[in-house]
Amino acid sequence: MKITLVKKVFADGSPCKKCAEVEQKMRDAGQLEQINQTVIAYEADPQSEGMLLAAQHKVDRAPFFIVERDNQATEVYTVYFKFVKEVLNQKITEDEEIQEIMNDVDLDFL
Amino acid sequence: MSNPANSINVTDIDSELSAQSPQDILRYALANHDNISISFSGAEDVVLIDMAHKIRPDIKVFSLDTGRLHAQTYRFMEEVRKHYSIDIDVVYPEAARVEKLVKEKGLFSFYEDDHKECCGIRKIAPLRKQLLTVDAWITGQRRDQSPGTRAEVPVIQDDKAFARPDDRLTKFNPLANWTSKQVWDYIRENNVPYNALHDEGFISIGCEPCTRPTGPGQHEREGRWWWEEATKKECGLHAVNIEK
Repeated sequence: MKITLVKKVFADGSPCKKCAEVEQKMRDAGQLEQINQTVIAYEADPQSEGMLLAAQHKVDRAPFFIVERDNQATEVYTVYFKFVKEVLNQKITEDEEIQEIMNDVDLDFL
Repeated sequence: MSNPANSINVTDIDSELSAQSPQDILRYALANHDNISISFSGAEDVVLIDMAHKIRPDIKVFSLDTGRLHAQTYRFMEEVRKHYSIDIDVVYPEAARVEKLVKEKGLFSFYEDDHKECCGIRKIAPLRKQLLTVDAWITGQRRDQSPGTRAEVPVIQDDKAFARPDDRLTKFNPLANWTSKQVWDYIRENNVPYNALHDEGFISIGCEPCTRPTGPGQHEREGRWWWEEATKKECGLHAVNIEK
């Protein structure tokens, strides 16, 4: 299995807020060791490898994970907790799930 | 009935449906999903109920009662329930979580921190629980509601955040391509009941402490969580973000 993490970097070199949060969580949980490669989607460069991967997999937000397994279709995870549960087979609390959803969902329609 | 999202690409369906009317999108959604429910906020998304009710009179509807809604919104929900003779499944936050938040941080912590912790408890947790029971849901999200974060809202999407483990949840946004004016034209032309707060200057309606009327020229988004910095879609990977 090969896991690729794609994260976004702004023109000024800083990471997007969620990318930084997810990366820190993964570092704290020792999950970064299971990532085979990290690819950057540079805001200023549409031809950067990360931006091209986003276009290839029709992903519209960072970070995301590309999971490649032998003889299986490539899977793309845009939700960190789903990736942790389904790929890394690790438990995640309901509070952690809710916290991540909160960062993704604009709630003014509810 | 099978869930079409299990076998076909929602991106392709979105391309087909995005040119269709909200009624046609609803017709597609209801034809392809038995276990489907409308999320009704108590605001102008009532048009979805009106449209869906004409297609399937026993359409399932749920609303989140955060405990902090305006009295007018509660009255409106009741009016809608009676007007369409439908059941509205009112969903509540877990009392223990609310009690813990209030005990630790008081009743207005969102003004000091931000709205996320409170919304997580009062909206996301009960919504998550509710969505675990359905195969598809329908929202009133529109692209013009929040240009910064909603400019790309599709009419159908694979909702990975709220899907059951190892399952799929399809989310329909039939009003995605409609403007606020189109919604209000529909409401008036079809005599659809609406929340009395709209006559008091409210455009976007949520919890009472986090919603305010907006003035001429203000975007509706400015009526929600106005004390916080304007939301930025800083993790977006669209060309439009690159060009900025």
